[in-house]
Amino acid sequence: MTDGIKTDGLKRRDFLKVLGVGGASATVAGCGPGEVERLLPYVVHPEEITPGVATWYATTCRGCSAECGMWVRTREGRAVKVEGNPSHPVSQGGLCVRGHSTLQHLYNPDRFHGPMIREGDEFRQGTWEEAEQLLAARIGISGNVMFIGAQMGPTMNDLVDRFVGAVGGTRVHHDAVSDAPLREATRIAYGVDQLPHYDIGAARLLLSFGSDFIDTGSSPVAHNRGLARMSAVEGHGEEAATKGRFVYLGARLSTTGLNADEWLPIRPGSEAIVALGMAAHLAGANASGPYANLLRSYSIGQAAEASGISEEVLTELADRFAAEGPSLAMGPGVGAHHRNATAANLAVLILNDVAGDVGRTVTVGNGPTAASSSFSEIADAIDAMAGGRVGVALVHGTNPAFSLPPSSGFREAFEQVRFKVSFASAMDETAAMADLILPDRHFLESWDDAMPRPGVMAILQPVMQPVPHFDSKQAGDVLLAVAANVEADMGAATFYEYLRGRHEAMHDASMGDFATMWTSHLRDGFVDHSAMMGAGMSTPPLRAPDQALTFDVPALDGDGDLALVVYPSPRFGGGEFANSPWMQELPDPVSKITWHSWLEMNPATAEARGLREGEIVRVTSPHGSVDVPLWPYPGIREDVVALQMGTGHTDMGRWATGTGVNAMTLLPATAEQPSGAFVTMATTVSVETTGARRRLATIEGSNDQYDRPIAPAVALADLGHAEEEEGAHHEELQELQGYGGVQPVPAEDGAATAFPLPGADHGLYAASHEQPRWGMAIDLDKCTGCSACVTACQAENNVPWVGEQQVQMGRDMNWMRIERYYEHVDATHASELDVRFLPMLCQHCGNAPCEPVCPVFATYHTPEGVNAQVYNRCVGTRYCANNCPYKVRVFNWYRYTDENVPEPMNWQWNPDVTVRGNGVMEKCSFCMQRVRDAENRAALEEGRPVRDGEIVTACQQTCPAEAIVFGNLRDPESAVSVAIDNERTYKVLDEFINTQPAVHYLKKVTFHEVSGGH
Amino acid sequence: MKTHWLIGGLAGVFALGALAFVQGGDTEGAEAAAETGQPIGFLHNQHAGAEPGQNNMNCQYCHFSAERSVDAGIPSVASCWGCHQVVAGQTEQAQTEIARLRGYWERGEPIPWRRIYKISDHAHFPHMRHVNAGLECQQCHGEVQTMGVLVERDPAWGGNNMGWCIECHRQPDPVTGEAQASVDCSVCHY
Repeated sequence: MTDGIKTDGLKRRDFLKVLGVGGASATVAGCGPGEVERLLPYVVHPEEITPGVATWYATTCRGCSAECGMWVRTREGRAVKVEGNPSHPVSQGGLCVRGHSTLQHLYNPDRFHGPMIREGDEFRQGTWEEAEQLLAARIGISGNVMFIGAQMGPTMNDLVDRFVGAVGGTRVHHDAVSDAPLREATRIAYGVDQLPHYDIGAARLLLSFGSDFIDTGSSPVAHNRGLARMSAVEGHGEEAATKGRFVYLGARLSTTGLNADEWLPIRPGSEAIVALGMAAHLAGANASGPYANLLRSYSIGQAAEASGISEEVLTELADRFAAEGPSLAMGPGVGAHHRNATAANLAVLILNDVAGDVGRTVTVGNGPTAASSSFSEIADAIDAMAGGRVGVALVHGTNPAFSLPPSSGFREAFEQVRFKVSFASAMDETAAMADLILPDRHFLESWDDAMPRPGVMAILQPVMQPVPHFDSKQAGDVLLAVAANVEADMGAATFYEYLRGRHEAMHDASMGDFATMWTSHLRDGFVDHSAMMGAGMSTPPLRAPDQALTFDVPALDGDGDLALVVYPSPRFGGGEFANSPWMQELPDPVSKITWHSWLEMNPATAEARGLREGEIVRVTSPHGSVDVPLWPYPGIREDVVALQMGTGHTDMGRWATGTGVNAMTLLPATAEQPSGAFVTMATTVSVETTGARRRLATIEGSNDQYDRPIAPAVALADLGHAEEEEGAHHEELQELQGYGGVQPVPAEDGAATAFPLPGADHGLYAASHEQPRWGMAIDLDKCTGCSACVTACQAENNVPWVGEQQVQMGRDMNWMRIERYYEHVDATHASELDVRFLPMLCQHCGNAPCEPVCPVFATYHTPEGVNAQVYNRCVGTRYCANNCPYKVRVFNWYRYTDENVPEPMNWQWNPDVTVRGNGVMEKCSFCMQRVRDAENRAALEEGRPVRDGEIVTACQQTCPAEAIVFGNLRDPESAVSVAIDNERTYKVLDEFINTQPAVHYLKKVTFHEVSGGH
Repeated sequence: MKTHWLIGGLAGVFALGALAFVQGGDTEGAEAAAETGQPIGFLHNQHAGAEPGQNNMNCQYCHFSAERSVDAGIPSVASCWGCHQVVAGQTEQAQTEIARLRGYWERGEPIPWRRIYKISDHAHFPHMRHVNAGLECQQCHGEVQTMGVLVERDPAWGGNNMGWCIECHRQPDPVTGEAQASVDCSVCHY
């Protein structure tokens, strides 16, 4: 050993020694013999499991009453991902954001650890035996059982009926959101007590009278797919291209509304008069059938007066509705349920009938069996409870203490019930009032069945053992045990036996052996007999109404100057999804706001009142008031404000409680007649500032493209001859360069900025490689902005959530976002609507600005053309994120993956993807784990390369609109190469900054001329 | 009468099978187990070794998924007990260890093996690609069939040293002369 160079003070070598010792001790503490990792084998190996290989199960999503087909990916016995079942007749492979978030409810750390028994103000955890005996005893003492439940599978429904019959009780249906007016209108019009089936994909002109069918409603995924197919361009080049047109008539644009080609901002409540006026215009003097007299009393003139839309516009629309068939009109959904909502839905059905659409795009008898219970039913139950006529109340699958307005008196009435039982699996507002909580199993742990529409039957199977942290029991099993305790014979000891027995009894022996059928049923996830059910019943004639109906614009409560719209949230539904951090952190598809609530108000209205974005305003109705930040939104009429449902919980777990406000506070407990539906569009409000302001937790930078072609569009008429000049954006480029920062990469010979930019044909990705170049095509004409891809990506790639405060600071970590730009939104004139959605993810640039600035080579270009991020190499300088023109790189500032994710939420993590820690940059990897998995399987099975279509990214898999295609750009036959061989193809900012992205977009197609080429 | 013959024959086959399974002995087991914290003094050499008195079992008899999965797999307790309900061990030491195994089986508990070989969480090592490329297990794990109770990694193992992986990946392919496996980061890191 020789001494190092001596300097004043600390010797360099001493310094290194200190460092070395520190490092060594750190190593000992970190990975020394004290820390032993255990390898635990199975005691008995389940034959269907191979460690390291995913096992998939088919089941049905119970996220809402649409009942989409679901595939569940399990690894070593844990569900890690849910996806759409591609062969399912309803959802056809898509899945919505709420469907994905059901996985977080399975692992929700706030689930009950066992049955909870009230003792004074507290709950004590008991055993199942004790709880069941207690319930049986109380039923014996009190009698007068009332079962309050939401939509459930046919077998559970049957069991509940038998149970209620056996113990001598009553049954009440209650769903937080329900399509009762449409169901009642269909019953009045056609005598079929069911929702109609809409074939949106077949329509060429679609009118939505306030139906938000892709946000929520009876079948959002199927309707989303239909909308995308309808609006997709058909025909190419010189042969005239066509596409379906979508017109939205309503006071506020939802995600559905933002996809429309035209917006007629009709006065809320005027839907019936508009539909009847249009129908009267079409029928003319020849009106016949049971509604002929009704039609004679309406005219376009009346419609124009009631709606505030000009007569010319409505006349033209009516003529097109008949001429551009098949057309389709959809009546008001939950967000537009006013006091005459059944009449409005009936009027829209009459319009369809007059235009000859019934039997083409509208059929009855095969519609979704989705939730359509009435508010009147629960209102009667409230009366019975308040009157002391209920001894034992059982609440299953619904949370009326939250989803009903305080003015309904539910809480006070429920208090009067002598023994209150909840089947909630985690705390909610109703369970908090209960005397006994019998935590139900999650549907991924249960046997059950579902009937999404007549003729389609699905069995739900448990995809894993129940999560062991929670001692839960399926409600069906509890009812059977309690029935046994009160000596009622239900014919089965377990719900599984009951279910299987019922299906065996229904089994048609001519179809073959039951056991074989059952096995194939479980494997496929459904049985589809709908084709055999005949089409004859789908075109019944209109029947005369058996109810007195009023088609007028209904009055609103109070004398406020603004009408209030309360709409079900595409993230939270009626509120049952609020305790999912994925849903809280998902930017709302319309507002791009996360976590908290906001009040939507037209910017003109806000300006007239001197209100600014983020100002906390007090919204007051005759029934209550809430304080909420303001978000100016051009997609709402100037005399209307809007609030979402589903937030503002007081007792619902760590993420939901105290987040946002509950819009129900502002509403009266009013039932619409004759459907009995809950009226959401009921009141006026006044809005005043509180003087306070807050920063919104939004991910949006701007809603304006500032004339940059980020999400450009092309007019339908220009398709086939839109010969865009080379360097069309040269001027903009020079202007941008004037601001500095946007400099093209110089060519190798040093030549400057001639156009096209030098280097455009090579980039860092050398063309000589034989490997594939992975790439993506996203069709913006199909994308509806629903954001399912964002949550699917979060689930697949172990992307953490950061919380409201961190989002405010711009630290949101989603690898994907949907950008939303307004080109033309005008609430004052009936006119074209032009809103652009752009799914933004890592563009995997061939000439990536992030790569050269990384000092440690943590981000680089792979031979497969992917911009890779090597987490273990990243030291967190964040230079790459600063240099990324697309803002798609996200940084883990704190220990989000440790501290935000309590046990057992971490059970959901995908074992094929590294869980990143703090201090590391991350971004879209093009689902590299799926690429590797497909490669491994191809090599293992046949020693061949991957075939086109074998790699499906998470975003592509879930997309209800089929807008995303992934594959090898180097293969001219691949689906992605075929997709991008299109005149609409462009790459974001490529011609300005020469990034040569692997993600290709196809421009949205508009009916109107696009200004300035974008 | 035929049934008796059948039963007798079966019993004979069983006994022969048990005998054919040579029951060797190594007294290092218990001490090693105590030192290493392995719950059972399991001897890899007794099972997989080819020396006289050893059983020369294929690695993949127990590590059953190495050929078809990213994980090699460890045998279930039932799998161990499948043999050891008839193989009781010849030495006192072996019998003690097998009695421990029986304890786990009867209690229905997994055996909490101490993990010896582990690659970092940020790297993905697909066993099946390597096994199917013709690599021997010993190339990474060392001559496990000669080892008793596994206490520590084979000194040759460099699984947490990427250079060791790369060295092999870079070897020229005999046909093309190019690297025999990709050295691209994203092959293992994602």
